[in-house]
Formats: sequence, C-alpha cells, structure tokens
Amino acid sequence: MSDIDNHPLNRKPDETPALAVDNLQVEFSAQGGRVQAVRGVSFSVQPGETLGVVGESGCGKSVTMMSIMGLIPMPPGRIVSGSAKLNGKELLHLPVKQLNKIRGVDISMVFQDPMSALNPTMRIGEQIAETLMIHRGMGHGDALKRAVDLLERTRIPEARKRVRQYPFEFSGGMLQRAVIAMSLACSPSVLVADEPTTALDVTIQNQVLELMREIQREEGMAIVLITHDLGVVARMADQVAVMYAGQIVERGSVDDIFYRSAHPYTLGLKAAMPTASMHVGERLMAIPGSPPDLFSPPAGCGYCRRCDYAMNVCEQQLPELISVGDSHASRCWLQHAQAQVDVDALYQPGASTC
Amino acid sequence: MTQFILKRLLSGVITIWFIATATFIGMHSVPGDPLANEKAVAPEIRRNLEARYGLDKPVWQQYGIFLGNMLRGDFGISFTQKNRYVNDIIREHFPVSAVLGVLALIIATVGGVIWGALTAVYRDRWPDSVIMFLVVIAVSVPSFVFAMLGQLGILAMNEWLGFSLLPVAGWGSFGHMLVPALVLGLGTMAYLTRLMRSSMLEVTSADYIRTAKAKGVPPLRIFYKHQLRNAILPVITVLGPSIAAITTGGFVVELVFAIPGLGRFFVQAVQQLDYTVIMGTTVFYGAFLVIMVLLVDILYGFIDPRIRVGKVRG
Repeated sequence: MSDIDNHPLNRKPDETPALAVDNLQVEFSAQGGRVQAVRGVSFSVQPGETLGVVGESGCGKSVTMMSIMGLIPMPPGRIVSGSAKLNGKELLHLPVKQLNKIRGVDISMVFQDPMSALNPTMRIGEQIAETLMIHRGMGHGDALKRAVDLLERTRIPEARKRVRQYPFEFSGGMLQRAVIAMSLACSPSVLVADEPTTALDVTIQNQVLELMREIQREEGMAIVLITHDLGVVARMADQVAVMYAGQIVERGSVDDIFYRSAHPYTLGLKAAMPTASMHVGERLMAIPGSPPDLFSPPAGCGYCRRCDYAMNVCEQQLPELISVGDSHASRCWLQHAQAQVDVDALYQPGASTC
Repeated sequence: MTQFILKRLLSGVITIWFIATATFIGMHSVPGDPLANEKAVAPEIRRNLEARYGLDKPVWQQYGIFLGNMLRGDFGISFTQKNRYVNDIIREHFPVSAVLGVLALIIATVGGVIWGALTAVYRDRWPDSVIMFLVVIAVSVPSFVFAMLGQLGILAMNEWLGFSLLPVAGWGSFGHMLVPALVLGLGTMAYLTRLMRSSMLEVTSADYIRTAKAKGVPPLRIFYKHQLRNAILPVITVLGPSIAAITTGGFVVELVFAIPGLGRFFVQAVQQLDYTVIMGTTVFYGAFLVIMVLLVDILYGFIDPRIRVGKVRG
C-alpha cells in the first residue's frame, strides 16, 4: 500500500513522510452502543505537500485529525488501533505531558471558526506569545515581539497595535490570519487546517488560502487540509483523500480525483458541486439517501445503498482500496478485476461533471 | 466612561426616587400610624404629637416635606426611639452590617468559584456529587436554621477545646464575625457554586480551549489562564443582586447572633410603623445597592474586554 501513498513527483525512496497514519480506528461510546467514527484510515503526507481530505459532515475527517492530535475527549472517545507517526515518531497513546511537547511545535492546527477558536478575554498577542513562552522558553517581552513579527508575516496591518487588541476587535479574516500566525509560531512540520475557510466569506477565503500556500512555499511544511469544498481542494491540494463513513474511499493526486474519478461517491460529490453556468431555478444535484449508521456499520460498502452502480457483492463484502493507477486507489468493487466492468465507459467521464 | 457613569448615576437617582415613593405610598396605606402604639393617649396629646411630627397634614403634603428633607439628606427623628436621628442610627449601625456583608460576600464568591470549579473538574465523580448535594441543602434550608446550627457548633467546639475559641454571639472582634458571615454567605455561595459549575462546563467544551490544547498548553495553565477567567463572567454578573440578597438577608443572622447591625432596625421599624426609620433605611439601602450594581458593572468591564464601556472599536 505504501507505494501509492507517495506523491509520484516528490518520491524519494528514503524520505520519511511528515505525517504517516496507518489503519487508524476511532470509536465513541454513546448511549446505546459505540459509534465507529473512523474505520481504518491510512494516509501519508510528505514535507511541502498538501493533502486535501474531503467528505460530507460526519464522515470522520475532523475526528481523524483531532485524534491524531489528542484532541478528542477520552472517554467517550477511544483510539481502537492504528498508528500516527510524525516525522517517524509515534503520536498516538502518548501521555499528555509528552504530547504537549509536540502539539503546537511540530504539528499545529487551524480551526474552522476563528471567532470562537480564540480566547475572547485574552489579547491576540498574548495568545500567540503563549505558544512561544511555553515551547521556546521565551520571556514575555521577546515572545510579544515575535508575535508582532508573526502577525506581520500573515499580513495583518499595524501589527504592533493589533497585538494589544482582543479577538472581538478583529474581523473574521483577520482572526483567521492571527490563528495561522499562532499556528506558525514554532515552525511546525505539519499544519492541520480543519475547514479553515468555511466560516469566512468568499473574498476572504481566497486571501487566506493564498496566504497558506505562500507560507507553505517558504517553510516547506506539510498541510493537511480538511474541507468539504471541492473548489478549495482543487486549488490547494497535491494529494486528495475522499472520506465516506469513516473510511477513505478514494485517494490519489488532485488530477486523479477530478479527471479520473474512480469511485461513485467522488462522482456524486463532483456532480453535486454547483457550477457558474447554472440557470436560475435549476435544481442542484444531490446524492440521494444518507450515510450509513455508524453504530452498526454495514458489512458491505457503506455507499452501496446510494450508489447507482451497486452490485450484489457490494451489499455483502467491504471492498479494499484497489489500486487503479500510480498513487491512485479506490475502495470500489467495480475496480476489482473479477468485476470485469469497463469503469471508464460506465462513469462517462466529463458527462457527470457539468 | 465618565458619560456612562453619569448616565447610570442619573438612572440610579430615578430608581431611588421610585423606591422612596413606592415605600411612602405602601407605608401610608398600612392601617394605623407610628403613634398608634402608644397606650391610652389623651386626644389632646395625640393632636399635639401629630402636629409636631406633621402627621396632621394631608399625605401629599407630607410626601413633599419628606422629599425636600431627603434631598437635604435629612431623614428626621425616629418615632419609637426618642431623640435619635435616623441618620445617626444608619451611621452607627450600618458599618456593622456592611463589614458583615462584605465578609459574607467574599466568602460566598471565593467559595462559590472554588467549589464550582472543583465540581466541573471532577464532573460526575464523587467530589462533584458530594458538593452538589451540599449545595442543594445550602440553597433550600433557610439561614436561621444554619445560624442556630452555627451557634450550636461554636458551643460544641468551645466545650471540646476546653476554652472559648470563638464567641457564640455579640460583636467586636474578627472571631465574632467569622461564623455569622459564613452563615450569611452560605446561600449565595451555594447559588454561585451551581452557576460556576455550569459555566465551567460550558467553557470546557469551548473551541478556544481546544485551541489551547492544540497549542500544547499544559492542563493547569489552561485551567487558570483560559477557563477560569471566562467561566467567572456569569458569577460577576449576579454579584450585584447577590449583594442585595446578602445585605437585606442579614437581619435574621444579626438577630440570632445578637449583632448590632442595621437589619434589626429595618425590621423593627416596619413592625412599629416608624415612618422616618422605614423611609431612611429603605432609601439608604436602595442607594447602596444602586451604587454596588454600578461598581459590579465597571468591574465586569475589567474582566471581559468585550463589554468594556466607552472603548472605541479599533
């Protein structure tokens, strides 16, 4: 499986991935049973590369990243199995004390809603400086000076004045820049961005994404970008993992995913994307049905009830990720040699995207 | 800021006027008058007394005289305690109530914040259950029961020690204040504990706590740097009304512990329809509370920058 994890362009045989997750399984105990939120997710990101993780709400994309960072409440959450290695070092099951030497230093996170992600009663500068004081042992004054630099770096005007302000005095876009500045404080090797632009309006989205790209070019860090917006993925990602019902159902380069989609769910997502050429009154495409109940996940493919191409086997047995090309894999029985289906003809590439 | 305070002071004056008027009307609609208590007063003497105190004038005229005097800060002479000015009663006895009240408030606030934070940290484990059980008791049992129990407790302790560590009643030293203040603050402390608990639990699941964790902030620092300050805001909000509850609820405790506070005069005056003392103490308490609530609002701004008044948005 590891041969399809690596980006074909960057692949060097001896390079350790910045973040490598293997067969991660996470469940939550709830009233009436256990929800299997993440069911065996594996992926890896190389330094300087962006992995886009796409999927609808509740598919486990955020839980995956949060459990890697030790941010899910345990209990009720539980990491059942798997490993997550940051620069070759295991992250899962670390005691909080050791995890705190890594969080904010080697791996940091940008959250969805910048309005609520910052402490409302603490000055912006203090919140950025806090990271530096804890991890770099900097004094208060030095840390604040560095906070000004970081804010300037994320192009916040009048940074010297801004460090002394509170979150409510910032606009949404500015706040997200401040959060990015904060996450960059210790030059992490992996930046996890959980829907970083969802709460922002479209023009601001663009600026924030551009900023992240620019910083990535300078710092060479890996970015894991969680989103449900295929447009954001197309712009930002090198590699894409499509998640559905707690599993990766398709993974490949951004071109693979968009031009050579190999999973019916990916096709459905693409079809559901509104386009600029739509007419007034035209209905948006939607995938019928809803995802399976993860209290008792189905024995077969989780998507088969909603799938136009479902076969008997789909109902009974869960497909593996089947390689369909260099670094491109799909969790679909149609791709299996025994299915003897001309998948390309079936999907009519191009027809479903417009 | 100055504008805000001035505005609030003006509305405070209106509040106090309203309190004074309502009390005046209420007081005069109660049957009888301050002189009705005197036994077998000859009609001429009664007329003389009424003339002296102005009770022979129509009520609206009395009201006018009262307002005029109040503006000059003069509440007159008590009907029942001969030759004592209401102002003197307040001046002598209010400091006692104030010291007791402030001590009770400190105990209630500090205790409420600590217990509330503890219950939230140990949510659904035994410290939480024990404290929340005690909270229900403290909220539902009236303060005179605790006052008696407190006295019994002091007695038992002194007996066990063989010497008098704390006085059972009276006023004078810090030892006199301790148990009455605790009893007086108990109900408020229980209320604040519950408030602090729910507020802490809300803050614990807040996004910015998750951010702090993702930054690698150690748990203890998250607790005092990020959680406490945000969780304490609702507690500050109810501090104003709590001051009201404590200062006006003080008279029961003052009575049981034989403390010469203002509360006793307040209650006695109502029983005896001592017009001047009723008006004096009511207006004084009203003014005191208005100022306390204003102080709490100013304090609030220091803790929560979002509502800091008069600050221009940058």
